[in-house]
Amino acid sequence: MRAALTAVIAFIAWEVLGDLHLVAQGALPSPSGIALQWWQDRAIYPPHIRATLQPALIGFVAGNLVAAVAAGVFVLVPGFERLLRGFNIAVFAIPPIALAPVLVITLPGDLPQVVLAAVGVYFPTMVMTLLGLEDIDPRPIDVIRSYGGGPLAVMRWLRLRSGLPGLLGGLRVAAPAAILGAILAEFGSGARWGLGSFLLGSLGRGDPARIWGIGLVATFMAAIAYGLCALLARRSTASMAAVTISAGRIEAGTLDRKARATRIVLSLGALLAPFVIWWGILKAFAVSPVIARTPFGIWQYLISDPAAGDARADIMQALSQSLPLAALGLMIALVVALALAVTGTLWRGLNSTLMPAALFLQTMPLVALAPIIVLLFGRGMATTLVVTVTVSFFPAFISIAQGLSQVPATSLDLLSVYGASRWQKLRLVSLPMCLPYLCAAARLTAPAALLGVMIAEWLATGYGLGGLLNMARGELDYGMIWAVAFIAVTVSVGFYQLVRFIEGNLLARYGVMAGGG
Amino acid sequence: MNNASPMLATDDIEVAGVTRTFAVDARSVFALRDVSLLCGAGSFTALIGPSGCGKSTLLRIIAGLERPDAGTARIGGATPAQKCRTGALGVAFQDAALLPWRTVRQNIALPLQVLKRNSADTHALIDGLIRLVGLQGFEEARPAQLSGGMRQRVAIARTLVTDPSVLLLDEPFGALDQILRRSMNIELQRIWMEKRPTTILVTHGIDEAVFLADRVAVMQRNPGRIAQVIEIPFARPRQVELFSAPEFHRLADGIATCLYAGTNQ
Repeated sequence: MRAALTAVIAFIAWEVLGDLHLVAQGALPSPSGIALQWWQDRAIYPPHIRATLQPALIGFVAGNLVAAVAAGVFVLVPGFERLLRGFNIAVFAIPPIALAPVLVITLPGDLPQVVLAAVGVYFPTMVMTLLGLEDIDPRPIDVIRSYGGGPLAVMRWLRLRSGLPGLLGGLRVAAPAAILGAILAEFGSGARWGLGSFLLGSLGRGDPARIWGIGLVATFMAAIAYGLCALLARRSTASMAAVTISAGRIEAGTLDRKARATRIVLSLGALLAPFVIWWGILKAFAVSPVIARTPFGIWQYLISDPAAGDARADIMQALSQSLPLAALGLMIALVVALALAVTGTLWRGLNSTLMPAALFLQTMPLVALAPIIVLLFGRGMATTLVVTVTVSFFPAFISIAQGLSQVPATSLDLLSVYGASRWQKLRLVSLPMCLPYLCAAARLTAPAALLGVMIAEWLATGYGLGGLLNMARGELDYGMIWAVAFIAVTVSVGFYQLVRFIEGNLLARYGVMAGGG
Repeated sequence: MNNASPMLATDDIEVAGVTRTFAVDARSVFALRDVSLLCGAGSFTALIGPSGCGKSTLLRIIAGLERPDAGTARIGGATPAQKCRTGALGVAFQDAALLPWRTVRQNIALPLQVLKRNSADTHALIDGLIRLVGLQGFEEARPAQLSGGMRQRVAIARTLVTDPSVLLLDEPFGALDQILRRSMNIELQRIWMEKRPTTILVTHGIDEAVFLADRVAVMQRNPGRIAQVIEIPFARPRQVELFSAPEFHRLADGIATCLYAGTNQ
């Protein structure tokens, strides 16, 4: 009741602020203004929606098929999973906006949108299906094996069924990601139709009501896609699968010499695999060498060419502009998320109220709303920061809040017995317990932060990696397009691995968290 | 406080008319109804009963972790909330509840940190406790490197670090195997005789209760209540042989009869 009242008051306040042009010289239009504009534009929306929805749908289906098959193969042949781990992490860490121009110059028609949608879909579905396939009760496996069943029989009778909730949970996260992928590809393609193109065009014309309208339509589409998949998941499985994505697990334990040797070979393979796949795709699609750059081509462009020094200097300058902002944005997002999650544990019930909203908003195409932020905050550094914090906050909050909820009640009871204050409980138990989750949050959120920075630079400020990429695209500087994409992915993966390393050390220190006394 | 002699004056525990209800599917269930219990200073009382008879709830109320709907729990005349700030309480749970990132020594020191008692002799005190529970050489180990029994012994040492006048033990050996459990029982008796804190032990094990306690309070459920209090007259220190003595079994059988009478209702 009180929530409804608050919502009504907020809505009325929004209307008044919008009608009187009180925020950023009218950058915040009133709800009625947005509705009016939307009604006037009603004839142009269907072709734009169709142009985004169709490739998103094809990418969704293709990406999920690949993801489901890959997860199945990874379970049956664990070595294969190790071999492709580098590729998987790269797919997870790629800022889609960095990939967009590369796809646009190499692929025809709306294929860039399809591929970017599929790339966005692949990782969540693959990880959650893999979890579902692997995380099964070991006792029924023993039953099947005691009747002579092999891995295929286990797959047939156990894993496929128990993996279903994971797959369906993955679809739910993947559906909005497909729409986001399609929109981001439109940012890079300059196509006539599609919600992304529509947004970009309206941003150029400075039309707040229309930008808000498009943003709301895009969010609404993502919400419907999410809802449909959630409904499917609920209908076909009684149990609820985990909603967040854990990217990879930390392995512990010692290995004998032979196993260690195999592991080193597989790790080397994992390092090379993304490059082999990259090169293989270029060959398979017979992309013109004028446009395409192989890993060797990047080497030439950045290291061995006579002009390589200039290219390097440009990229270094862009990095020096983008990385501090990404780091700062990530840090702000983590601190705010931590503060809010901690507050939520102190006021009982707050987290359970915030959590569903955060889970939902995490999957919405917030990056596609960057134009709205540009409108509100102008074309300076503030915009870059706000975009970055906005896209990083929700995944960070979810991970940290989950960490705080895992703190065992007995540990807190123990401190109560000595009359500990809330602050003491937080400092001595909850925060240290939460540290690995904070690491996971940083690791899972960092690619989003880099994406946020690059989008803002691309759309608004013109600085940094995003600005450089946009400029290279305009000048058809193919070498630079590939080089920036390569550097963005490398930085993202490098940061991911760095946090993984810290996290691994932490977890080893913590020992077995769950059962550990 | 740290320099108190081992034979410190202990507090008695007085539970008077405690009632606690829980809501289950919109109807309220009596976890405890009008429970009264008096444990003299320096006594050892075992609470035994089937799952759901409210014995853990009773212990948590005495520890101040839960509030009763009616009635009072007092320790040495004070409320649990007043008492806990003085470090007078030592509580052990079924789960050792060790913090995984702290070493054995740091885990044992945790209550002192919470109570902001950091004196110079802390180190010697903790070393003494580690010896008492037989974990010499594991001072710097982390919980993940210890077995279940060793973790439980760390928890016992942590319970003793404030030199508590009251020990509240909630099935601390419940997860251990029978053999380990027996040796822990003997160790607990030794520790208790040395310091004589007023002790309440919640347990599922009839033999554990008879071996350790001066009195066994048998609880029944629906509603949770104390059905009978049985005196255990054996002299101390009690030896392992007691486990096979006929009078031990007579008492244990009496408790079992009382327990089963409750479940057949």
